[in-house]
Amino acid sequence: MNDSVLLLTLVAAIASGTPLVFAAVGEILTERAGILNLGVEGMMLVGAVSGFWATLETGNLTLGLIAAVVSGALVSLVHAVPAISLRVNQIVAGLALAIFGRGLSTFIGRTGSPPLVGQPPRSSFEPILDGGLADIPVIGPLVFGHDPLVYLSWVVVAVSSWYLFRTRPGLELRATGEDPAAADAAGVKVTRIRYIHTMIGGALAGLGGAYFSLALVPSWQDDITAGAGWIAIGLVIFASWRPWRAMFAAYLFGGVTRLNFTLQAYEVEVPSQILAMLPFLLTIVVLILITSGRRARFLGAPAALGNPYSREER
Amino acid sequence: MNRWNVRVEPRGTVSPLLAVLVPLGSVLLALFLGGVFLFLTDQHPGEVYVRMLDVSFGSARGISETLVASTPLVFTGVAAAIAFKLLVWNIGGEGQLYMGAIFAAGAGIAFGGAPPAIALTLVLGAGALGGALFAGVAAVPRVTLGTNEIITTLMLNFVALQLMNYLVFGSFSPWRDPAATNFPQGRPLPDNASLPEIWRRVDLGLVIAVLIALAFWWVIRSTRWGYEIRVTGDSPGTARYAGIGVTRKVLAVFLLSGAAAGLAGAALVAGPVGALEPRSLALNLGFTGIIVAALARLSPLGVIPVAVLLGALNKAGPALQTIRVPSSTVLMLQGLILSLAISGTFLLRHRIIVERKPQTVEEVPA
Amino acid sequence: MAGLYRPDAGLVLLDGEEMHFRSPADSLAAGIGMVYQHFKLVSNLTVAENIVLGHPGTPFRLSRRRARALTVDLAERYGLPVDPDARIWQLSVGEQQRVEILKLLHRDVRILILDEPTAVLTPQEADALFATVRVMTGEGRAVVFVSHKLDEVMEISDRITVLRDGRNAGSLPVGEADPAGLARMMVGREFSFPERAGALTTGEVVLAVEGVGVRGDRDLEAVSGVSFSVREGEIVGVAGVSGNGQRELAEAIAGVRRIVAGRVEIGGIDATRLSPRRRIAAGLGFVPEDRLGMGLAPGLGIVDNLALRGYRSPPMARGPVLDHDEMERHADDLVERFDVRGVRGRLPVRLLSGGNLQKALLAREIEHRPRALIAAAPTRGLDVGATTAVRSHLLAQRESGAGVLLISEDLEELLALSDRILVIHAGEIVGEVPGEGADPDEIGLMMAGVRR
Repeated sequence: MNDSVLLLTLVAAIASGTPLVFAAVGEILTERAGILNLGVEGMMLVGAVSGFWATLETGNLTLGLIAAVVSGALVSLVHAVPAISLRVNQIVAGLALAIFGRGLSTFIGRTGSPPLVGQPPRSSFEPILDGGLADIPVIGPLVFGHDPLVYLSWVVVAVSSWYLFRTRPGLELRATGEDPAAADAAGVKVTRIRYIHTMIGGALAGLGGAYFSLALVPSWQDDITAGAGWIAIGLVIFASWRPWRAMFAAYLFGGVTRLNFTLQAYEVEVPSQILAMLPFLLTIVVLILITSGRRARFLGAPAALGNPYSREER
Repeated sequence: MNRWNVRVEPRGTVSPLLAVLVPLGSVLLALFLGGVFLFLTDQHPGEVYVRMLDVSFGSARGISETLVASTPLVFTGVAAAIAFKLLVWNIGGEGQLYMGAIFAAGAGIAFGGAPPAIALTLVLGAGALGGALFAGVAAVPRVTLGTNEIITTLMLNFVALQLMNYLVFGSFSPWRDPAATNFPQGRPLPDNASLPEIWRRVDLGLVIAVLIALAFWWVIRSTRWGYEIRVTGDSPGTARYAGIGVTRKVLAVFLLSGAAAGLAGAALVAGPVGALEPRSLALNLGFTGIIVAALARLSPLGVIPVAVLLGALNKAGPALQTIRVPSSTVLMLQGLILSLAISGTFLLRHRIIVERKPQTVEEVPA
Repeated sequence: MAGLYRPDAGLVLLDGEEMHFRSPADSLAAGIGMVYQHFKLVSNLTVAENIVLGHPGTPFRLSRRRARALTVDLAERYGLPVDPDARIWQLSVGEQQRVEILKLLHRDVRILILDEPTAVLTPQEADALFATVRVMTGEGRAVVFVSHKLDEVMEISDRITVLRDGRNAGSLPVGEADPAGLARMMVGREFSFPERAGALTTGEVVLAVEGVGVRGDRDLEAVSGVSFSVREGEIVGVAGVSGNGQRELAEAIAGVRRIVAGRVEIGGIDATRLSPRRRIAAGLGFVPEDRLGMGLAPGLGIVDNLALRGYRSPPMARGPVLDHDEMERHADDLVERFDVRGVRGRLPVRLLSGGNLQKALLAREIEHRPRALIAAAPTRGLDVGATTAVRSHLLAQRESGAGVLLISEDLEELLALSDRILVIHAGEIVGEVPGEGADPDEIGLMMAGVRR
């Protein structure tokens, strides 16, 4: 029973969706501060290549993760500084990061000695439970059969949701994204919050990228994330800026990309390209539905998203 | 006790000199930073840059290839420039290019039997139409529901990419070359539907691109419609009181932007690529167009030289591999250029003043 | 005082100590809190969340129960009932104000600044507010009550300071103050006498407003039941403190804001449903209060801005194409005739001084010979030279047969220019006096809402 196609698809969906979970939660935190960061793809790629390289050099997966997280956070500054302190157009700044991140990661991948491309990984994340709990029908593979990063992603989702809605810094974060002027007047440190959360977004995106190079594939190739960063941006909207919804949406989108194999097993021919379109079309439909009608208030974005804030400039 | 005070003040005038210096400065600074990366990875920045210059401008062949690479960037640069001028954030130029390519190739294959003038007109017209229609998918929700076009146009890019891939790789559609049995590829366009070459591989597409850029520049500057666009982009409140239909302008500009990007696709398909060939079309030209527009400070006229510059950069990328430097250097440089160019707008909008802190204390009347 | 702006000169002293507030956080920490005229509440969050936001004592783990209990407790203590779980956008303006005050009380501020607090309240709510203020002062807190409503100020204050033109015009204990004296301090004493020619024979009605009601930005009624008319050859002044509906009234007549009741006639034509463009065609000219947001395009040059009325037809347009030379000629002509200075080529007009901006705006509106001209706060922020120029243009319009509606906070100006003066307060016309020989004190009292 644990070999059923459906179950295998679900398990694969969780695996494919995990990088999306990290990246989307990171972007949720960033956007909740009012900063729109379109450079997620770039940050993920930088994290992926850094993680791979660090693991290759040291043989230590934990160091690899740390490298991914730190590099993601650092590269996010390419967006953060222009967007927050220089108050430039956030759309263009984010795109610049996406392009730069792609270029940088590809560059690093090819200039190491030996180049990273095509190198077998020295170590990678494997499912931690072999047999035992993982053999329980249905629940086994679904819940217990994953590698450590998947479990880490669940922790990240739970913690970020708790953080956002049940802690004081989370309240300040939400206020900053809704109305920075009001938050400022209440004594909240708007600029600091925006920087911190943009960098956290970068760190999580880096982690998501590392999932590709250290677990999913695992190895390094140019553009290994294959658009996951862009999907994550759409995901955030689909999930109405809520971490738990983002997780389930990520598995949904992840599953869609794996649908190909599933359908083949049932001998249904749907071209892979059409399936690949689905996450993006879904996001557009949801966005249109969100904007129309009075439900907009409940499902809507942080009100100040994308707007620079300056205390004395009116 | 003396203390220095650093103040940031909104800047009033922007001298034309500064308006050119800042983008130029961004490019130079980006090259410098890129050079640092190169240096850190044991490449020789000087050698790399000289090689790039040589490849792009050092020979007649180099120059012509640069111009070929610049042609689509003029189209996509204009597309981004006119949209952004009106604060319409169309970042879907990439997808609109693909749609234009699909429509254009379709028209070329279908009407290739017609006399060249007609076939070409149909091909280009179809490309513009395809781009405009696809832009419309995001434009209509924007003007009717206020749906944010940033995400919709972004997502549509990938939809178009997959559609293009499907037509050539995923199915036996008319766009696929029936003669290629081993390896799927796009069906070549008939000669009648191809843009005539005017100098080496540079074809009529470049002329059309430049004409379109000039046309937009002229329209914005010298017509009533263009004037209304300028007023609306500057102050929608004033435009409304003056009786200018803001919604209609937004829709029109959005569709025109899509059409321009679509023409980029059409010019590629009817020109150097010669078929709906995804691997030769999915080159980030739409996003690079945004970089062009940003550097050109949204002027359709400025787009032309900037497109040549970035076309040269693009072109030089693969050539670097012969001296064992990754072509991704170019991608990195592009990202740096855009990031620095956009950061530079801060300098254009603000003045930084360093002064001594004043010591005066006014007496307060009791 | 609240830390939102930094002073360019002078000191803020608290308990004799010099304070340098770099942000609202600093002033709050020092015990000073402000209820702004435009509330600083986060719309999508709940009342309780807004109250605990930013407070240093709020624990890391938010407890909804604790926040709710805290809110209810404060509300009861100060007589400001609110629902802690309601979201701000669901509340009425009066309720929102209560939340603002509770926020500050939670921070235990020693000094509360209330900026025009009763502007958005019903009389009953205003009474409740006063009761709250008394409770707060009873506890030893200090309240700075900023208002232009003399009767309220007299009722609630112990000491009154009058600001005029950004300066301290006088400070006195309430026992020594009387409404007339305060009104005089508010509007100033020197009057230079009118240059207005004697009453002209007025002609037909060029602008008529009947029972007009207009909604303001917060969906409150900003204007209700206003009726008056303006004839050829007269200047009708509208006196009132800013924020009493003048802006909304002017925008409604111009067609930028919807009229929810009544009608507007321009040049005898019912213009109530017409677009701004049609109203202009019917003979309306409008010099708005918001010069750069509604009247001019700040980033464009003088030539482009001056062409905004005439660009659709010859000679500035030849078909779809604009004649740049003609536009420049037109701009040069206006610049010279109206003495607009500081103009240079393509310079964005936002760089012009206020006076020159206004002259340019006026030039553009007057030039197409409107039959009815609305001028809202036309000399606000202008220097003496520009002010004189603007006023003489308005008088010239009157002499050439136009009807002018002059909306101004400057009583001296209204007295100098108007044939008759209407006084607006809280969205209603509360009185009319002839321009000749009017008593400034009486007008000042009406402006401040003191009913006789």
